[in-house]
Order: sequence, then C-alpha cells, then structure tokens
Amino acid sequence: MAVAVNGSVGSSTAAGLSSVFEAIKLQRFTELADLLDNLELETAASGSGIPPEWPYAIHLLAHVVADDLNSARFVWKRMPAPVKQNNPELAAAWKIVKCLWNHEHAAVHEALRSYSWSPEVQQVVSAIAEDYSRKVLKLLYTAYSTISVSDAAGFLGMTEQEVINYTMQHGWTLDPVAKMLTVCPIVTTVEQKTDASQLQSLTEYVFHLEH
Amino acid sequence: MMDSLDAVVAQVQALSGSADDCVHLAGLLKQSEQVLQVHAPRVGYALQALDPAKHSLGYLYLLEAHSAGTLSRELAGSFLVAATNFLTVCSADQIRLAIDKFNILCRRLKDHAMQMMEPSSALLPLYAAIRKSQPSSEYLTPLHADYLLLCLLSKCYKAGLKILEDDIFEIDQKRTGLIPRDFLLHCYYGGMVYIGLKRFGKALEFFQHAITAPATVLNAITIAAYKKFVLVCLIHNGQVPPFPKYTPSVVQRNLKSCAQDYFDLANLYNSRNITDVKRCVHAHEDVFKNDTNMGLANQVIASLYKRNIQRLTQTYLTLSLQDIAETVQLEGPKEAELHILQMIQDGEIFATINQRDGMVSFQEDPEQYNTRKMANKLDSEIQNIIRLAKKLTSVDEQVLCDQNYLSKIGKDRPRSVRPLPSFG
Repeated sequence: MAVAVNGSVGSSTAAGLSSVFEAIKLQRFTELADLLDNLELETAASGSGIPPEWPYAIHLLAHVVADDLNSARFVWKRMPAPVKQNNPELAAAWKIVKCLWNHEHAAVHEALRSYSWSPEVQQVVSAIAEDYSRKVLKLLYTAYSTISVSDAAGFLGMTEQEVINYTMQHGWTLDPVAKMLTVCPIVTTVEQKTDASQLQSLTEYVFHLEH
Repeated sequence: MMDSLDAVVAQVQALSGSADDCVHLAGLLKQSEQVLQVHAPRVGYALQALDPAKHSLGYLYLLEAHSAGTLSRELAGSFLVAATNFLTVCSADQIRLAIDKFNILCRRLKDHAMQMMEPSSALLPLYAAIRKSQPSSEYLTPLHADYLLLCLLSKCYKAGLKILEDDIFEIDQKRTGLIPRDFLLHCYYGGMVYIGLKRFGKALEFFQHAITAPATVLNAITIAAYKKFVLVCLIHNGQVPPFPKYTPSVVQRNLKSCAQDYFDLANLYNSRNITDVKRCVHAHEDVFKNDTNMGLANQVIASLYKRNIQRLTQTYLTLSLQDIAETVQLEGPKEAELHILQMIQDGEIFATINQRDGMVSFQEDPEQYNTRKMANKLDSEIQNIIRLAKKLTSVDEQVLCDQNYLSKIGKDRPRSVRPLPSFG
C-alpha cells in the first residue's frame, strides 16, 4: 500500500526520551509515569518498535514514585522477556516493586540500597527511598503504641542503635531491658477554616433542593 | 473500466469541500462500492491522489475497499500504517457521514493489530477514532469495546481510563452504529479493566450494567460478566446482592443455573469459615481456571481474612494477637500483626498494636468530618449529584414528550392522569 509514512517517527521517540531525562534532572518525578506511558503508546502506533535504549528501569520505578504499584506491575508484564533477563538494573528495580507489593518492609530498604544504580535511576531511587521512609514512619506512629527495637529497625532500614537514636529524637522512650520502644503520638493540626466560597455553594445547594 | 475508478477519485476531489458537497459525495460513494470492489488491487494507487485530512470521506471508502479480505503480512503492516495515519488526521465531520464504513475500518485495524500480536499499536489511533466518531463524550460507540479489549491484551490498563472516566448517557444506534453486543462488551471489558486497576466498586458498576441490560435471550457475555460480578462482590462487599428490579426476567430466571459454582462459593463465603471457602475454591478450581477467574477466586480468599478481622473490631475493644490469629485462622501472632498493619495502612481499620503485651486495641474512625479537605470532598460529591439530577430531569422530560411513549401510554391506560407529586 503506497502511503507516505511519517519519517520523523524514530526521532520523535528520541525527543520524548530526552524530555524524560529533562524531567529527572528537574526532579519532577511524578510526571515520569505519564510521560513514559504516552511515549510508549506513540512509539507503538508509529510501528517503529520500542528502541533498545528504552529506560526500562526508570519506566518501572516511575510508577512507584507516583505511588501506583499496580501500574508498575503492568509495566513489568508488558516488557519483552529478553529485556527482563538481560538487564540487571531492571531486575534490581523489579525487586523493589516485588518487596513493596508483598509489604516486606525490611527487604524494601535492602533492595533500594543493594544495587549501584546508574546516575539517572539513582535519582529516582533516592526519591522513592525518601518517600518510603517518611510513609513507614507515619505508619509506625499510627499503628503502634509499643514496638520492639529490632522490628522498628527493620521497618526504617536502620541498625538498632541508629533507630534508638533516631526515635529518641522524636520523643519516643526506650525500655532497655525489654528492648521496646514506646511511641510518642504526634498531634496533627488540620486546617479547618472555611471561606466565603463555601457559603456560596451552600446557597446553590439549597436553591437546587427547592427547585 | 479504467475510467470508473478515476471518476470516483475525481468526484472525491471535487466534492470534499462544503458540508452539502460531502453529503452528496456520501451518496455517490455508496453507489460506487461495487466499482471500488472490482478495482481493489489498484485502489492503492488511487489513494495516493487523495489527502486523508481533506478527502476523508473518499479516503475512508477507498482504504476500506483496499484492505478488504485477507491481507498478506506485508500488506497488513502497511495497512496499519495507513489506517493509523488516517484515523489521526481525518475530518470528524466527513467520516460521520459514513459511520458504518468507519466502524468497519476501525474494527479491521483492531483485528490486524491483534493478529500481528501488537495490540498496543492500535490504541492511540482507536482513541482518536472514538473521539472523532462521537457526537459528544456522552455517546457510546462500537469502538469503545474494541479499545478496551486492546487495553486488556496489551496490559495498558491505565490507557483504558481515558474513555472509561467519561460517563455514558447516550446510546444512539443511528448516529454511532452501535448494536447491543457492543454495549455488553463495553461493560464486560470495562469491568475487567477496573479489576486490573483494583477499583472494584467501578468494576461492579460495569458488570451490573451488562447483567441488567434489556434482553429477551440470555447472552454469553452476560453470563461471563455475572461470574466476575459474583467474585468481585465477595471481594468488595462480602456478599452478593439480589438482582435489581429492572433486570430482565430471562436473565433472573436462568443466570443462576449457569453460574452454579460461583453460587456455591458465595453461599459458603457467608459462613465466614476460611477452611470451607478454601476447600470450595479448590474443588471448583477447574471451572475458575477455565473461566480465567482463578486470580479473582484467590483474592476472594484473601478478602475473607480481612473481613473477619474487621468483624472483630465491631465486637472487641482490645484483643491479643494470638486470639486474633486463632479466630481468623491465621498461622500465628506475627502473621496477624502483618495483616492488621496492612489494614491500618490502607485505612480499613483503626487500631494500635502494642507489641510489648501482644495486644491490639481497636478504635473508632477518627474522621470528624470537620476538616476543609473533607468539606471539599463532600462539596464535589454534591456537585456531581446535582449534575446527575439535572441530567435525569432532562431525560425524563424527553421521554414525556416522546411520541412513541405517549401513544403507548395512551393505549394502555386511556384515562390515566399523572398523579400530582405528593409532599409529605
């Protein structure tokens, strides 16, 4: 069938990928998932196939940064088998996803640390690590009144001594005999102020109900 | 004979300008279908004389004629390229004049993409095609189901949301070429996409549409949707609700006997006994596997642990991890702790674990509904309801003015008067 093919297809993938690396440089990690997903579909539609330099590990972790493990799982399922077998960095990234999926808290920290990532991936991994530690700490605050030092260390990916020092700073107390930490609950303040716009919408509701 | 194909091309070139010309051209092209069929092998050259964006209607007819029948792998490949380009640039106004042709072309694109094992290659062009063939985003098209199927096959579940998040209000056979099967498949595949995304509430909504769609015979799609519906109900709500009143009677009468294994599981689930449920899933394993529902069946088992823990929170204020493990039939206190931790994280229960004493104390939901965030959430929910209510009123008015409806009502109840709404 003689139809002119858009010749700039391969180069548009390259341009898309450079914008991905630009986003990493600017630390806009949450944009990565959509960027790469869209680029993947555009490349597929162009019929030119996914190029070998596709940043598979970043694509996988982009969904983790966006807190969407489910989509990360599907990215993995979409990847061709040879890529999965021959890309050690991707395999290491997949290990992070697996541990997160199975809620193996201590193993997550291990998986984040145990590979020497390439510079771009490292930035994404660092963002995940930071975010994860913050989330786990928040979970410990809400879910535990007392917790053993060893468990807390596992959750936070620290040594026992580190975790004692760290939590003491946050006002937790240590029972040295039982090696138990007592969690000091955090008092959160939430914004409760309302503004005039709320009054406006209330008026609209009442209007709607009466008509 | 050489002239006839050239004549068609000349007509297309001459009559692709104004809207009136295009309507005229649509009629002419319909009569020329035979000519295009005869000249199918040569149509490829004729296509070169046309611009897919300017001569969309003519291009559509020619490309459809050219790609009819079985194509060699090479030809199929170039068809994918040509169709992708066409769907991306074609004029919406023009292709809507030949919506059936357009749907055939799109379906062919889907089929070839599937045959070539590259389902994701057709996603963007089909998405463009849906938007172009819809009079507005509230219309369902026959392409919706195809698009969702490709999302499932290529595991691009999130891409499915692009069309699933539009609420569908309009079913218009004339303007979109939709047939009942398209609707059922849309509900079925849509439900499956939502299952993949673990948005079970939305999945139930879609399956329910398939089950309650007006029908005079039982459809295989309805049965398949119902099987998934039962499992997702158990995962999401812990029980299967009775059929809504508007479910067609043929469906109500026959559906249960078509899904007996699923019913057995639902009944046993009611007993909340994990051993029984596990045994049942195991006993019906072949059926579930055959229906590709084994993954869901396993999630049903997992959901029972959670549900049983949740029930404990309604009875007890504090409970030891050991007791929880025993009551819920988990292996030990450590496993119970992990389950509870997970549920706390997901906001499914409110509790604190005391590792020193091995106790868990359950709490009330701390939400006081007095934060600004909650107010905003309520706000947007109310807005949605108001929009929906307005929509409903306008549909109601439409029906009341409908000639067919009025004459039917007149025949059935000649002297009936609509009662005034009573205010209580």
